[in-house]
Amino acid sequence: MYRMLKPNPVILHKTEPQVQQEIHACIGCNECLLACPALAEPITIDVLNRETIAGTISEPVARFTRACYQCGACVSPCPAGLHRDAMMMWLKVRLLAQNKNGW
Amino acid sequence: MQIDRKGYPWFFLDPGKPWKNTLIVTMLLVVLALGSFILYQRMSPDPTPDSIGGYTYAILATLCMILASILYTRRRRSRKRQVGELNTSLHWHVTLGILALVFAFLHSFGNFNPRTGTYALYGMISLVLSGVIGRILDRMVPRMIANAASKALTEYGDDRIEYISDSVQQLVTHNSQGLQTIAKTKTPVKQQKRQVNPVTLGNPVSTGGSSLPESWDIAYISLSETPQEANRDAQQYRFVPDRKSPLNTPGALLPGVNDHITELKIVQQAMQREQFYRAIVRYWRFVHVALVIITIGLVLWHLEFAFSLLIPVFLHH
Repeated sequence: MYRMLKPNPVILHKTEPQVQQEIHACIGCNECLLACPALAEPITIDVLNRETIAGTISEPVARFTRACYQCGACVSPCPAGLHRDAMMMWLKVRLLAQNKNGW
Repeated sequence: MQIDRKGYPWFFLDPGKPWKNTLIVTMLLVVLALGSFILYQRMSPDPTPDSIGGYTYAILATLCMILASILYTRRRRSRKRQVGELNTSLHWHVTLGILALVFAFLHSFGNFNPRTGTYALYGMISLVLSGVIGRILDRMVPRMIANAASKALTEYGDDRIEYISDSVQQLVTHNSQGLQTIAKTKTPVKQQKRQVNPVTLGNPVSTGGSSLPESWDIAYISLSETPQEANRDAQQYRFVPDRKSPLNTPGALLPGVNDHITELKIVQQAMQREQFYRAIVRYWRFVHVALVIITIGLVLWHLEFAFSLLIPVFLHH
């Protein structure tokens, strides 16, 4: 309860180089996806990592990206101490850019 | 795999299997509950909260409420789960919450007197409403956060503040280089002026090689610039234009800086918005949890009240 109230001034979005760095550090244990309450369909971590960095975004990954509500449940189980929520935010920014580019 | 063409619209619906299943079950159970309520009202001579039907609805509402809170919490804390199980569990949490509210409504049989039961019902309504609003916020706010984050990043995904700072730094460097060039062109003239008569300027009392000690006249002050004196090319001594001059417009002496400062402010505002949106999501969750505690308290109060009425009746029988 106290953890919820504690102010956290950290800005969560990360730059692309930082996201790339985190994805390269990912050990692919799947813990973040297991802890995610927004993920409704089976997505493998390697597909998610690959599409987060660059290239086209497939429909299941896009659905997951839209469904992600940044609760941060994926951060604490990560044994490598990575921020999957920040990576998902980067994917969201990429999806938004698709809208702006007129896809 | 198909490539996504939907992007990230404000209003989107991606109905997955768990969502469809729980929606069907919720609708079926709500219809069944309403049907049973209509039937009971027509057939029973005593359609009140403390009738058999009323108690059944009360038990069902309490069960749904307990299951809604326990099942999801247990699943979330469990280590043995598969991908997507938590999402299914979250959908059941919503279903059970809605069913608990429906059963609580049916249990009231239209009696909304200001008693413990009505307060418990109000608690339940606010709890379910907070959950529904929370789900809406969960869909809208992350998009707003992404929008703010995209403003704080360049189109290549770099930090925009860093990019603007670099641009301003380049401008300043460029301007200071210009000043240094001016200073360099001025220096020989100064040196030439100084070299007109170094002996005379350096020591005015020198007479044909034999000079008196420098300290003989302390009233003498050199007219040449000493290192202690301020540099005339320094920023504060730069040209100050006339009020009507176009150079007096903000940023005219440092072209491009004002645009950068405006852009910097936009980025700062975007980052503040991002923090604010994150706070909304976090504190709404806190409101929901707080309402759970309040509703549990109100329900316990109502149960205590109900038992205080029921126990004497049972004992009498």
